[in-house]
Amino acid sequence: MQPSLREDYLEAVQLFSNKNARFPLTEELAAALSKPVPAVRSDIEKLVSGGDVIIVAEGSITLTAQGKQTGTCVMKKHETLQCFLSEILGMDSHRASDEACTLEHTVSDETIDRLGKLIGTHEHHRHQEKGKHRTPAGERACKGETDEYCESPGISDFSEGDEVVIQCIHGRACAQRLLDLGLVPGEHATIKRKLSNGALVVQVKGCDVAVSPEIASAIGVERLP
Amino acid sequence: MKIALLGNPGVGKSLIFNQLTGLGVEVNRYPGSSVELECGNVCYKQEKTEIVDLPGIYSLDGNSEEETLVRTFLTSGGADVIVAVLDATKLERNLYLFVQAAEFSPKMIAVVNMIDAAERQGMHIDAESLSSHIGVPVILAAASEGRNIDRILPVALGQATPAKVHVPYDHHIEAALKSLEKTIGTPMHTNLLALQGTGDDTVLLDAAGAIAQEIGMRHRMSVGQIIATNRHNFAREITASVVKRTAQKKPYDLDSLLTRSFPGIPILCTILFLLLLSVFMIGSWMEEIIVTVFTTSVIAPFLALGLPPLWNQIGFSVLIALQAGLGIAFPFIFTFYIGLSLLEDTGYMTRAAFLSDRAMHRIGLHGEAIIPMVIGFGCTVPAIMSLRLLKTRREQTIAAILVTMIPCSARTVVIAGIVAAFVGIFWAFSIYLIIFILLILTAVVLSRITPGEQFGMIVEMSTLRRPQARLVLAKSWLRIKEFLFIAMPVLIVTSILLGLFQFFGLTELFEQLVAPVTVTLLGLPGYASTALLFGVFRKELAFETLAVLAGTANLGMVMTSVQLYTFAIVSVLFVPCVSTIAVLYRQLGARIAIITSLYTVFLGLIIGAIINILMK
Repeated sequence: MQPSLREDYLEAVQLFSNKNARFPLTEELAAALSKPVPAVRSDIEKLVSGGDVIIVAEGSITLTAQGKQTGTCVMKKHETLQCFLSEILGMDSHRASDEACTLEHTVSDETIDRLGKLIGTHEHHRHQEKGKHRTPAGERACKGETDEYCESPGISDFSEGDEVVIQCIHGRACAQRLLDLGLVPGEHATIKRKLSNGALVVQVKGCDVAVSPEIASAIGVERLP
Repeated sequence: MKIALLGNPGVGKSLIFNQLTGLGVEVNRYPGSSVELECGNVCYKQEKTEIVDLPGIYSLDGNSEEETLVRTFLTSGGADVIVAVLDATKLERNLYLFVQAAEFSPKMIAVVNMIDAAERQGMHIDAESLSSHIGVPVILAAASEGRNIDRILPVALGQATPAKVHVPYDHHIEAALKSLEKTIGTPMHTNLLALQGTGDDTVLLDAAGAIAQEIGMRHRMSVGQIIATNRHNFAREITASVVKRTAQKKPYDLDSLLTRSFPGIPILCTILFLLLLSVFMIGSWMEEIIVTVFTTSVIAPFLALGLPPLWNQIGFSVLIALQAGLGIAFPFIFTFYIGLSLLEDTGYMTRAAFLSDRAMHRIGLHGEAIIPMVIGFGCTVPAIMSLRLLKTRREQTIAAILVTMIPCSARTVVIAGIVAAFVGIFWAFSIYLIIFILLILTAVVLSRITPGEQFGMIVEMSTLRRPQARLVLAKSWLRIKEFLFIAMPVLIVTSILLGLFQFFGLTELFEQLVAPVTVTLLGLPGYASTALLFGVFRKELAFETLAVLAGTANLGMVMTSVQLYTFAIVSVLFVPCVSTIAVLYRQLGARIAIITSLYTVFLGLIIGAIINILMK
C-alpha cells in the first residue's frame, strides 16, 4: 500500500472522528472518500495488518495510537497548507484544499513548522478575540490578520468620552476604510457616543466616524496618557 | 477640455457641479460599472468644457466600485484637469485623498469649499501658503453662498498644473518603490497600489507582495497601514502650517439629541413616520389630479378616435401604462425622493444608520442597510438600486429579499383602498403588522442560511447642515429620471401584453385555470385572479382591476370582509411588481430575482390560505 494512500485513509478517519465524535463504519468511510466500498474494505484490511487501525465489534474503524498520530499529523499539515495557500497566497479555498491534499504527503515537517510559525500570528489573534462576537466560527478557521502583533485592547472596551490613541487595526476587510478615514496607528481619537450594543461614534481628525460593534473591537487602542 | 471634480463624500462637490453646469445634466453609466457619473457642459470663452462629477470617495487605494472607477479615470487620463474639492472644516482628512490623487500627476487645482463654515468655527486657512505647499492654485470657496465659484473655471483652464507633493514614505517603502521602478519599470502610484495588493500586473504583484510581506514583518504592521499613516501625517503637517485657529464658543451640538438611544430613536421613528405619512397624503392628492387630467385630456380623445379594435387596445394599453408611470412616479416617488434627499442632505441619514445598527444586526445586516429599507417604503425599484451601498453579497441578498417585502407606496394604496376603506382602519394596520412579523421571521432565517461573511458599518457622520432646495430638487430629479428609465419600458411592454391578453379573451381561460387556487384555496371570487395578475404589473392596479371586474367601486357589496382582507394581503405579499423583478435581475442576477419571486408567491398564497381557513 502506498504511503500517500495510507495517510489519506488515516486522515479521513481522524477527520470523521473529530466531526462525529465516533469512528466511521466502512461504508461511511467509503462515502467520505467517494470510493467504492469493496476497495475500501480491502484497503482497511491492509491498514489493520499494518497496525494503524483495528476493527471493533460494531464494525467501526478505530485508530490505534500509531494510526492516530499519523492521521492527526497529516490533518494538521493539510490545515496549515490550506491556510497558507488560501489566506497568504490568496488562492480560492476549494483549490487550496485540493492542492493541500497533494502537498500534505510530500511536505517536510520543517516546512510545515515554518509555515505554521508564519501563520501563527493568526492563531494568536484568534485567541485574543475570543469571546468577542465577530464572524461565525466556521468561517474563521483561517481568517485574521497576518502581519500584526498588536496586543492593545479594542476600542469597544472603553466608554463614552474616553480619549484614546489608536495602536493598530486588526482584520483585513475593514482595515482599509478605517485607515482612509484617518484611524491610523498613533492617531488620537475621542469616543463621542457609545450605544448599549457597543456601536460607537469616534471622533478622529475632526470627523465623526460611526462603527458597528464588531468593527470597534478590531480597533486596538490605548488610553491617552 | 474636460474637467473632473474629485473629493470626499459630502464636501459639496454636487453643489459646485450644479452651480457650474446649471441645467442639462446627464447621467452616464461608466462602462463596466454600475456607478453613475454626472456630466454637464459649459461654454467658457467660446470653448466647450465638459464637467464630470466623480463619485465621492475617501481614498484611491480601495477596491469598491467607486474607488476603482476613479482610479481608472485618473490612470486613463479621463480628464484634462482635476478639480480637487476639499472641505475646509476637515482639511486634514481631505488632503489625504488629495495627496493620493497628486501621485497620479494629473493637472490639478484645489478648491477649499465651505470656507464660511470653517470661519464660523474659528479656522482661518492661508490659501497662498497652502498653494505653495501643494504646488497647485488654491481657491477658497463657499458653494452654499456662491462665493468664488466663478473663479473655478478660469483657474482650472488657465493655471492648473501637476501638484508638487511628495509624501515622505517610510524608508523601507521608498526603497521598495525604487527597486520596483528599476526592476519592473512601473510608475510610483502603480507600485504603491501593488504593495497593497491592488493591480492587474501579476509580475509586479508577485514582486511587490514579497516585499510587502518583508516590510510588514519588520514593522509589525501591514504595508497598507504604514502607507496610510505616512500620508495622514503628511496631510497633518501641511494642515498645521496653513490653518490658524482662534478659540470659538462651541455651538450647541444637536448630536447630543440625535445620536443617543433616547431621544434619538423616538426622533428617528417620528421622522420616518412623518416622511411616509406626508408622501402618502401628498401622493394620493396629486395622483388623483394627474389621473383625472390624463383620462380626460388624453385617454378620452384617443378612445374617441375609433381606431380598429386591435390598435385601439394596444394604444389604450400604452396610454394606461404612461398614466400608471406618471400617476405613481410623480406623486409618490418624486415626493418620496424629495423627502429622502432632504434626509440625506441634512446629514440625518448617517445618524439613522448609526441608531439602527443594533436592530439591523439582529437580522444579519448593519446600520447602512436602513437606507434601502427606508427607500423601500417609497418604491422597491430605487431601494434595490441602492443596495450597492452594502459591501458584501450576503448583505445584498438578505436586504434584497427584505426590501421586496416592505410595503411600497403602491401597496399602501392597495391596503388603504381595500382594507381601510371597506373593512376598517385597524384591520389595515393589522396587515402591516403581519408583514412586519413575516419580515422579521424571514430576516432571521435568511441571516442564518445566507452564506458569506458579515461586514460591519463604517460610516462617516455627515456634518449637519441646512439643505439647499436647488440641490434637493436636482438630486430628486435625477433619481426620478433613472426610475422612469428603468420602470417605463417594463410598464409599457407588460401593459401591451396584458391588453392583448384581455383582447383575445384569455382572461376567462386563465381564471378557470387558476380557479382551484383562487376559489378553493383562498376563497376568493374567480375574477380576483385576473386582478392579482394585473397586480404583478403594478401593485395598485390589483385594486383598480378588482373594482372594474367586480363591476362596482363599492367592493363591500360584492365581496365579504374576509375576502377583501385575504385579497389585499395576498396582493401585497405576492410577487414583487415586474419593474422590481427587472431591477433585481439587473442588480443581483437571475438567481436572486427568481428566488425572491418564488418565495413571495409562496408566502402570499400560504398566508392567504391561512387567513381564509381561520376566518371563514
